[in-house]
Amino acid sequence: MSANSPNPVLIIGGGIAGLTAAVELADTGVEVVLVEKSASLGGRVARLHQYFPKLCPPTCGLEMHYRRVRENAGITVLTLAEVTGVTGSAGDYEVEVRVRPRFVSEACTLCGDCERVCPAERPDEFNYGLGTTKAAYLPHGVAYPAAYAIDRAACPEGCKACEEACKYQAIRLNAQTEVRTVKASAIVAATGWKPYDAAKLEHLGFGQCRNVVTNVMLERMAAADGPTAGRILRPSDGKEPRTVAFVQCAGSRDENHLPYCSAVCCTASLKHAAYIRALYPETAITIFYIDVRTPGRLEEFGAKVQHDADVRMVKGKVARVEENPATGDLLVTAEDVLANRKSTEHFELVVLATGIVPETEGLPAALKPDECGFAGKNGSPGIYAAGCVCRPAEVSATVQDATGTALKALQCANRSVSHVR
Amino acid sequence: MKDARTVEPDVELIASLMAAGGADLKKCMQCSNCTCVCSLSTPEDDFPRRQILHAQWGLKDRLLTDVSPWLCHYCGDCTEHCPRQANPGEAMMALRRYLTGQYDWTGLSLLMYRSEAWAIGVLLAVSLVVVLLFTVPANFGFGLLSQAGPAARATVMLDKFAPKEIVHIGDTLLASLLGVLLLTNAARMFRIATRDTHIPLGVYLRHLPGFVVQGVTQKRWRECDAGDSFKNWLRHLILVTGYATIFLLVVVFLPWFQVQDHSFHWNSLLGYYASAALLGASAWMIGDRMAQSGEMHRFSQPSDWMFPGLLFVTALTGVLLNVCRLLDQAMPTYVLYVVHLAVAVPMLVVEVPFGKWAHLLYRPLAIYIAAVKKSALQTQ
Repeated sequence: MSANSPNPVLIIGGGIAGLTAAVELADTGVEVVLVEKSASLGGRVARLHQYFPKLCPPTCGLEMHYRRVRENAGITVLTLAEVTGVTGSAGDYEVEVRVRPRFVSEACTLCGDCERVCPAERPDEFNYGLGTTKAAYLPHGVAYPAAYAIDRAACPEGCKACEEACKYQAIRLNAQTEVRTVKASAIVAATGWKPYDAAKLEHLGFGQCRNVVTNVMLERMAAADGPTAGRILRPSDGKEPRTVAFVQCAGSRDENHLPYCSAVCCTASLKHAAYIRALYPETAITIFYIDVRTPGRLEEFGAKVQHDADVRMVKGKVARVEENPATGDLLVTAEDVLANRKSTEHFELVVLATGIVPETEGLPAALKPDECGFAGKNGSPGIYAAGCVCRPAEVSATVQDATGTALKALQCANRSVSHVR
Repeated sequence: MKDARTVEPDVELIASLMAAGGADLKKCMQCSNCTCVCSLSTPEDDFPRRQILHAQWGLKDRLLTDVSPWLCHYCGDCTEHCPRQANPGEAMMALRRYLTGQYDWTGLSLLMYRSEAWAIGVLLAVSLVVVLLFTVPANFGFGLLSQAGPAARATVMLDKFAPKEIVHIGDTLLASLLGVLLLTNAARMFRIATRDTHIPLGVYLRHLPGFVVQGVTQKRWRECDAGDSFKNWLRHLILVTGYATIFLLVVVFLPWFQVQDHSFHWNSLLGYYASAALLGASAWMIGDRMAQSGEMHRFSQPSDWMFPGLLFVTALTGVLLNVCRLLDQAMPTYVLYVVHLAVAVPMLVVEVPFGKWAHLLYRPLAIYIAAVKKSALQTQ
């Protein structure tokens, strides 16, 4: 640490929050180390088809961030990397980072030969398990860094097909995990979120009924680079559904599951209804809800979608989803509370609006989770949390939160080299 | 606005229901998960979401005409899956306690539900009357202890101590009194619950067999798909058969039931069955309540303990009394006879027309009312 330049700010998580904090901090001249657990930046946002309420693709936002990352020499990106320990104090942390090998170097040209010869498959985690990828895989279409990666856990014993096929000698299957120590003046934890495990909602049929999917899966289906190339298809028979039911609060606002409101699922389901109605004008949508929560400027978007006569809103929580094994259709039991009518209706596809669970894996111990599992904003002076690990929020709020957190981290970094306290 | 209607909410209602066990019902956010997980809740007779709303809003009139609380057998599935821990199962139980008080025209039921002191006071008062009838050395026409004579002190002579002709008259009078009270309360329930629906006579008659079958078998309970509903139904059926058997033996067949000799009687078998059924089922119920096993037993009000508790003591003293009689222990037999009645009589007086046992009529009647109402609406 020189007299005038602080240690870098270390950011955990390369999703939209971590990326935002990284580029905003780097723009002030402070050095940044961005640590991402997976093979590519972008996180959950990279898996969206469109943002609400403007229904524009997230790639443009991500691309702008990636460009700023590329152009700013002050940002070091470590993918396949995890923070395994933090010592020291504000201004002078020592962070242990475990970097797993990618097995593919920067010489990769994305030619795809490795993928073609690869004999092994792995579940496509990026597409929430809808389909598989080869063990030699490109994380996704707009991956950053733009390079293949090899999932060695999925490789057959002794297979070297990709290494031999690569014309650029970019593949080194004997690469080893590396443990680095990174100096940091401040730490921003933006570990993000994961969808609630729908299999825990035993009465809602996920995992038992073939045509019950989750909202994040539907989002991937709607994406042009997704597993169904942008078409919404029933998993059981690949049919385009004529009736779709959305089950809101699938886990959220439920003291047996997630006691809090996940904040985004209502608008997300309305957005999904808009996708489906645009794709298939014949398809009727029913949204079962407890309350429609589209706060702030999202109210207008929600009202617009609900104005569609083929988007039926039913106030009542779905308690049971069962499958007709012959047709794969689903029987949904709910009460229309406003009409005081309990009924069981048929649908061809059911979408569970699962909620946001904070991703606390990799979260520094100083950021103690609250009773709902969300990280506190400030753990100790110098360690901050940003984005969905703190609270459930939509993308724009997360970006604002990350920008604000960047300021806190910057203050900490500057204090460490300044005599003025 | 010619259809405009003024709703007068009863602001006291929520407090009454919360006191009766519905303490969590204000937490309800009306998501209706409860109504939908319940296999007994139907589109025509849906519960508990709607009743909780009416309770929250103070719509007493709607609750009074609604028999749905009696259609619930408290499996607790609704409470288990309630996202707000609003405890809808216990809200239905609270409604049954509340409605029992509302149906009763004497007002005694309400007093006893509201105040433990009243409940215990009435029990003790009736108990005292029974004890005095046997112990006060005066000529009330009863075979009082002092009149039983020296012979009856040496060997068991129940007919000297408590002549069965007199006891039989007492039984019949008591049964008639309780019957009249229970029936008039049930008539009030019936009148209140059907006042908003025109039901043709034919509909009443058509559903009468179902009413009887339901009262005897509680077969609707079998439609509940909760895990332990079969166990609960069977235990309840054992209790009901034991209760019905002993009732018939005591009220109708007492001259054959109260015997002095040691020879075998056909009705002894029935007596043994009833004793075993009542002892077993009530002990099982008390055990479950103590262990708080399942939602049904998690929350207990005094009225919930009183019901199986008094029944257990009644059955136990009945069995002990018979053992002493068979061992020819005169004084213990007489004392147990008095204790037995001093528990059984107040239990019946309090429980049958005013307390939890009233459901023996209210529940099948509610199922009957629900059926005739549905039928009447369909014919319209």
